[in-house]
Amino acid sequence: MNVLIIEDEKSLSREVEAFLKKQFYTCDVSFTGNNASEKIAVNLYDFILIDLGLPDYEGLDLLKEAKEYNPEAACIILTARGDVGDKIKGLDLGADDYLAKPFSLLELQSRMQAIARRKFGLKNTVVPLGEFSVDLTNRSIAHSGKEITAITKKEFDLVSYLLLHKNRTLNRMQLNEHIWGSVIEDDYDSNYIDAHIKNIRKKLNAFGPTEWLETVRGVGYRIRTA
Amino acid sequence: MRLQTKLTLFNTLSKLVIVVLFVLLLPRLIGNINLNYTDNRLRKQKDKVLQKIDSLGIEQYMPDGKPYGSYTLLKEEYVGLEESPPSYHLNTIENSERIVEGDTIQYRILSHTFAHDKKNYLLEVGKSVKTIGETSSPLQSIALEVLLGMIFFTVLLDFLYADYLLRPLGKIIKAKLLDKRFPAAGPYQRINTSTYDFKYLDESIHQMIQHIEATFQKEREFISNASHELMTPITILQNKIENLSGREDISDELQLKLVEMHKTLNRLKSITKTLLLISQIENEQFLKEDTISVSELLNDVSDEISIRLQDKNIRMNIEVTDDKTLHEVNRFLLFNLFFNLVNNAIKYNKEQGDIAIKAFREDGSYVIEVSDTGIGIPEEQVPFIFNRFKKFKRSAQQESFGLGLPIVKSIADFHKIGIEVSSELGAGSRFRLIFP
Repeated sequence: MNVLIIEDEKSLSREVEAFLKKQFYTCDVSFTGNNASEKIAVNLYDFILIDLGLPDYEGLDLLKEAKEYNPEAACIILTARGDVGDKIKGLDLGADDYLAKPFSLLELQSRMQAIARRKFGLKNTVVPLGEFSVDLTNRSIAHSGKEITAITKKEFDLVSYLLLHKNRTLNRMQLNEHIWGSVIEDDYDSNYIDAHIKNIRKKLNAFGPTEWLETVRGVGYRIRTA
Repeated sequence: MRLQTKLTLFNTLSKLVIVVLFVLLLPRLIGNINLNYTDNRLRKQKDKVLQKIDSLGIEQYMPDGKPYGSYTLLKEEYVGLEESPPSYHLNTIENSERIVEGDTIQYRILSHTFAHDKKNYLLEVGKSVKTIGETSSPLQSIALEVLLGMIFFTVLLDFLYADYLLRPLGKIIKAKLLDKRFPAAGPYQRINTSTYDFKYLDESIHQMIQHIEATFQKEREFISNASHELMTPITILQNKIENLSGREDISDELQLKLVEMHKTLNRLKSITKTLLLISQIENEQFLKEDTISVSELLNDVSDEISIRLQDKNIRMNIEVTDDKTLHEVNRFLLFNLFFNLVNNAIKYNKEQGDIAIKAFREDGSYVIEVSDTGIGIPEEQVPFIFNRFKKFKRSAQQESFGLGLPIVKSIADFHKIGIEVSSELGAGSRFRLIFP
C-alpha cells in the first residue's frame, strides 16, 4: 500500500517511514506543505498522514486537497497541538482518524490496519492462533468454532494488538498506551497489564493451551506464531 | 472595628466632651453675664435716682433730713439714701450683707457719694444676690438636655451619612475582590461613587487585577506552548526507541535498556500530556456539550478501572440512589475526573479494602461521593492535596508525579463542581463532589 507521510520534522518522518517500510508499505515523504500538495495532486495513495503543524501550509487545507485528488485515500491527522477544535474540524473535513503526538508507531499501524479493514474490506480477518481463532472484524475469539464470551473488550484489544505486532515483544508502556490511551492519569509505571494478561490466560486455558502468549522477562509480552 | 463605628464613636465622644465642658462652664458664664447685666442695671437705677434728685430736689426722698430706704415686697431690691460726712467719697459695686427687717440678705450693692446743696450724700442701690444666681441652675439643666438631644440627633445623622458614604467601599470589596473568580477577567464595571478616594481605589484594584490576569494568562500560555513544543521531540524519541526495539539483531541486555529508556520517556510524556490537559482545561479549550447520566458515567469508569481492583482484592460498590442526567458537560473530562478519584482510592487502599461510590441528592444539591478504606491523608496536608507536583509520602508502592488530584480539581472547577475532602489517617478518605 502507498503511504504519503507529510511531516516537517525530518527525524520523525524518517522513523515513521522506516517503521512502515518494515511493515511492507511503500512510502513517500514530504517535508513541506507545498511539496505535499504537488504529490497529492499527481500521485495516488492509500494512506496520507498529515502533520497539522506545518510551517508553510495550513494542514487542514492539505486535507481538503487530499479529499479532492485522492478521494480513496485514508487520511490520518498527526498533531502536537492537541486542540479539540482542530480534531473536530479535521474529522468533519473527512479525516479517517486523528493521532495526537506523542504517538506510538505501533498505535499508528493499528489505526491504519483498522481503517484498512473498514475501508478497503480486507479479507482474511479470521486469524488462527494455536487452537484458537481470532476474528478481527467481529472482535471475538473462538475455540473449535465456539466463541469464548468470557473475553472482555479490553482483553480482546490486548490480544489483537499483540497479534497485529506478532513475533514482536511489546512492553507494558506500549500495551498500556493502547488500552488506556484516552485516560489521563498520573501513574507512569503501573503494572495493570499483567492482571489483564493473567485473566486472558486463565480464561483461554480452560479451552486449550496458550503457549503462543509469551512473557518476556523484564520487557513485556509477545504472541509467537509460526 | 468598622470604620463607620469608629467614626460615629469618635464623633459622639468629641461632642460629649465639648458639651460636658460647656455645661460645666455654664454657671460661671451665666454668673458673669448676670453680674454685668446687674451692675449695668444698678448704674442705670443710680442715674435715674440722681436725675430725680436733680429735678425734684433731695426733699422728695429726705423731707426731714432722715435717711431714706425703700424695699420691694420680697426684699429683692432696695434703694437707700443718707447724708454722709463731707470727706467721704465712694463709687463702688460690691457684694455686701444688709439686715432688712431682721433678715440678713446678701446684696449686690452700688455705693455712690454725691454732693447736693453743699451736702454730701451716699446713695446705695442693691439687688439680692440670690435673684441674680437663681436662673443659672435651671438654665444649666435645660442646656444639658437640649445639647444631649442635639448630640443624639447629629450622631444619628453622622452614622447614616457615614453609612451612605462608605457604601461604595463595601461594594468595591464585594464586587472586585470577594466575588472575583480568578482567573477570569470580565469587562471593567465602575462602582458608582462620587467620592474620589473610592474611585481611585476601584481603578487601582482593577489595574491590579488586570495585571494579575495578564500574568496568569502568560503563565498558562507558557505551560501550553512548552507542552506542545515537547510533544514532537518526545514523539521522535519514542519512535526511535520503538524502531530500535523492533529489530531482531539486538541483545536481550540492550532490549532491557530500551525498556528502561521507554519507561523514562513515558514518565516525561505523562507529565507533559497532563500539564497540557490542565492548561487546556484552564484556558477553557474544551467544549461542554455532552449529555450523560451519572449511572452511565460511573459504570464506564468502573468498566475501565475494575481490573485494577484485582491486585489488592478491593471491593468496589456503586450505589446510585437517585440518577441524574448531566447536561452540557464534557464526557471525556468527567470520565477522567472519576477515573483519577477512583484510581487514587485504589492506589492508597489496603489489601481487602473497600471503595464506596454513592450518588444521591442532599439538601437540594446533587452529590457524588467516593470513599475508601485506605491510608487516609494527614489533616495538615488536606489543604495542599490539589497543588500540582505536591507529593506526599502516602504510599511507596506506586509511582506517580502528583498530578492526579490537580486534574480532578481543574475538571471540577471547569464544570463548577464543588469538592469537599474529609479524611482520617489510617481509616480512609472521602471525596464529595457537589454538582451545581
